[in-house]
Parts: sequence; C-alpha cells; structure tokens
Amino acid sequence: MDSGTLSGIVTVIFIVVFIGIVWWAYSKGNKQRFEDAGKLPFDDETPPKQGDKQ
Amino acid sequence: MEATTYNYKVVRQFAIMTVVWGIVGMLVGVILAAQLIWPDLTFGIEWLSYGRLRPLHTNAVIFAFGGSAMFAVSYYIVQRTCQVRLWAEKLAAFTFWGWTLVIVLAAITLPLGMTSSKEYAELEWPIDILITVVWVSYALVFFGTIVKRKTKHIYVSNWFFGAYILVIALLHLVNSAELPVSMTKSYSAYAGVQDAMVQWWYGHNAVGFFLTTAFLGMMYYFIPKQAGRPIYSYRLSVVHFWSLNFIYMWAGPHHLQYTALPDWAQSLGMVFSLMLLAPSWGGMMNGIMTLSGAWHKLRTDPILKFMVTALSFYGMSTFEGPMMSIKTVNALSHYTEWTVGHVHSGALGWVAMITIGSMYYLIPRLFGRESMYSTKLIEWHFWLSTIGVVLYIASMWIAGVAQGLMWRAANADGTLTYSFAQVLNTMYPFYGIRLLGGALFFSGMLMMAWNVWQTTRQGRVVNDAPIPQAVHA
Repeated sequence: MDSGTLSGIVTVIFIVVFIGIVWWAYSKGNKQRFEDAGKLPFDDETPPKQGDKQ
Repeated sequence: MEATTYNYKVVRQFAIMTVVWGIVGMLVGVILAAQLIWPDLTFGIEWLSYGRLRPLHTNAVIFAFGGSAMFAVSYYIVQRTCQVRLWAEKLAAFTFWGWTLVIVLAAITLPLGMTSSKEYAELEWPIDILITVVWVSYALVFFGTIVKRKTKHIYVSNWFFGAYILVIALLHLVNSAELPVSMTKSYSAYAGVQDAMVQWWYGHNAVGFFLTTAFLGMMYYFIPKQAGRPIYSYRLSVVHFWSLNFIYMWAGPHHLQYTALPDWAQSLGMVFSLMLLAPSWGGMMNGIMTLSGAWHKLRTDPILKFMVTALSFYGMSTFEGPMMSIKTVNALSHYTEWTVGHVHSGALGWVAMITIGSMYYLIPRLFGRESMYSTKLIEWHFWLSTIGVVLYIASMWIAGVAQGLMWRAANADGTLTYSFAQVLNTMYPFYGIRLLGGALFFSGMLMMAWNVWQTTRQGRVVNDAPIPQAVHA
C-alpha cells in the first residue's frame, strides 16, 4: 500500500470519527445529559445559604 | 469520616504564587526588551546576558506563572464541580512545594548557563526527573478526585484539564529523553532533523495543551461563573474539546517550514494548523456567546472585561497562527519579530488576561471576601494591560513585516539590498514601542499585587468552604 492510499484511509477514518463525535454531542438522547452537565458550575450555589462565604 | 469542606489551602498557595511569578517573569521580559535596545544594560555580566535571561523569561511566564495558575484553578474547579474534597491531599501539598522547587532551580541554573538548549525544555536532566515526579503526583490527585466525585457528570473544564495533564506528561517524557554526561549536562537522545521534529512536536503542543487546552478549561468555568449563566452551548464545548485534541497534535511541523524536514511533513503541519481554526473559533464563539443577554455586565464588570478581551485575543491569535503556518506567508514571517508579536498576542492577550480575570474572581473567595479590595484598580489594570498588548503586537507586526521584506530584498545582480545591521537599525523605534507596551502590562501586574495584598490582609483565610450536601446526582 502506498502512502497516498494510506493517507486516504486515515482521512476517511478521521472524518467518520469527527461525524461520530458531532452526532453523539447533538443527538436527542444526550440533550438532557449535556444540559445537566452544563449547569454543574452552579450546582454548588444551591441552596443559597451554602454559597460562597461572605 | 467524609470531608464536608473543600481543600482551599493548596489552591490559595498556587493562586498567590501565580501573581508573584507573573511579576517575576514579566519583569525579566521587560529587561530583555530593554536589552535589545541597550545591549550593555546589564554591564556585560554573563549571568544576566540576553541568551541566559531569555529562557528564564519563557520558563517563568509559561511554567511558573501559567503553571501555578493551572494548578490553582484545576484544584479549585475539580473540587467544586465534582463536589468532593481533593483526593490525596498530602500529595497535592507535595505538588506545590515540588513545583516551586522546580521553578527555583530553573531560576538558578538557567542564568548559570546550564541548559539542554531545547526551547521551552531547557532545564537539565535532574530537574526533568523532578518535574516528572511532580507531574505524576498532580495526575494522581486530579484523576483521583474525578474518580471519587459525587456528581454524575464530569464538567467540560475537567476534560480539558485531564487532556492537558496527560499530554504534557507524554510530551515531557518523549522530548526530555536525554543522555546525561554529568550532573549538569546532557545530550538529546535524538539527532538532526528528528531532534528538531521531536522538539517542535513538543514545543507546539506546549502551546497547544499547556497554554491553550488548560486555559480553555479555565475559561469554561470562570466565564459562566462571572457572567452568571451556563456556557452558551455545552454540546459545542464537547465538539470543541475532541476536535482540538485530535488536530493540535499534528501542527508542530509548521515551526520547521523550509528546513531539512521532509516536504510532506511541512505540508502536513500547515494543513493541520489551518484546520485548527475551526475548533479554536468554535470555542471562542462559545465563550463570547455565553454573555448574550448579559452584555450590559461588560460595561461595569472589569473582571468580565478581562475574560472577554482574553477570548478576543484568543480568536485573533488563533486566526493569525494558521495564516502564518501557510508556507508562502511563513517564508516572510519566519525568524522575524512578527513571530514574537504573535506569541505575545497569545501569551499576554489570551493566557495572561484570562488568568488575571480568573484570579480576580478566585482570590477573594479564597480569603472569605465577596470581591477584590478595589474594583477601580482592576479597571485600571484592565486598560493598562489592553493598551500594553496592543502596543506590543502592533509594533512587532510592523517590525516583523519590515524585517522580512528587507531580508528578502535583492538587487538586480542578486546581492542583498540591506545588510543585517541596516535591518537591525530599522527595528529600534519598534523595539522602543514594544518596551513601552511591555512596561505598561507589567505595571498592571504591580497594581494587581497591591490589590491582592490588600484583599488578603483584610480577608480571612477560608478553610471551611462547605461542600453542598444535597446532591441531585
């Protein structure tokens, strides 16, 4: 196999992996999960009394 | 018994040292800028010569200032987003003293001229071993804390920190492979162009994973916190993370355009550098859009100004970088002041400003205060820094392009139009403007030190920040 074919195959694999990641990140099934994760920095503020010390 | 509070001690130690090392590293930078105008500034003392101070400057700002900042924020964020106290706290304390020892050893050996001569990896082999031990301890503490987390998810910042810790370990081990000949001298395990390629695979990923990935983790936590709203698109941050990691690894060859490196490898480096534009700008937009609906806060909040300006410089330098990696552009820009300008647009504009903004958020919280001693001083610091960076990079752009054009100018008979000394002479005014810009940025750091001193003096050390007990995971 020459290097041209090899780099072609690698390129295809990378594209497939990338599309896979985008599909995984934006699939409906994962919507809630990522929204929850996005709120993590704020979870430590509730209940308000336990927030950052004055 | 399970801990009910976070470990802020190690965070506080690293946060304070961030400010200290920032001042030291930037002061050396200002001295170097002055030396380029007045070469006899340090009276010909060899320990203070340009060639010895330069690695001291780069090591101090990257690994001492940037490194301490990363230890501080990663320990803080991993605890707060995992809602657990640090794992192996004694080991965490060791990382502080170990890392500080590395910095002190660097400050001694580099002026003495002990160097492996690899850019950003100049430290000699015994210090390399110490770095490895500290870094492995860091990895254990960080990932140990992730493992015992009480939350269901791992916040995106921690993904960025995790990638940074793993990749820096890999880079350090591979690039520092060397053969010691004495306690203070070693030679690289690689030779010739292979050595150059390993060095710039390391060098560029030090930029990519130390100065980018790690600080993006910082951005993904502190911008939402300071803006008071979650990141614009968490899903975009996931794509940002993976694509950045995949692509950054292969961009190193762009430091070796038109060298003995095989042509295909040069082109590969260029193509990957161009592709980097997509994740970089995706991440930048994600950070900036987090402020949508809260833009008014920018008017009154200098901390947010620091963070958003940092992102703007991030966008600017990650546009400039790919452009400079294009071979024909690189033919003009390489070895000129343009490169120095580009580096500082990233280092001062992005890394330092996001760090300064984050420290202004973090430090009062570590000392039991709601905010810094003086918001007005933060505002002053912001404007001094911004004007300083703009002067710095604008002067270096003009200087670099002029330098590149003068170097390549040829007469009809093929001889060079300008001698090296003539080109150097043209640089003087720009070196002056650069010194002014650097000095402005540095003076902002002194204001920060005063502000931090007053904040800590009037605050009290917080060792009992409670971990929320109502976990919905």
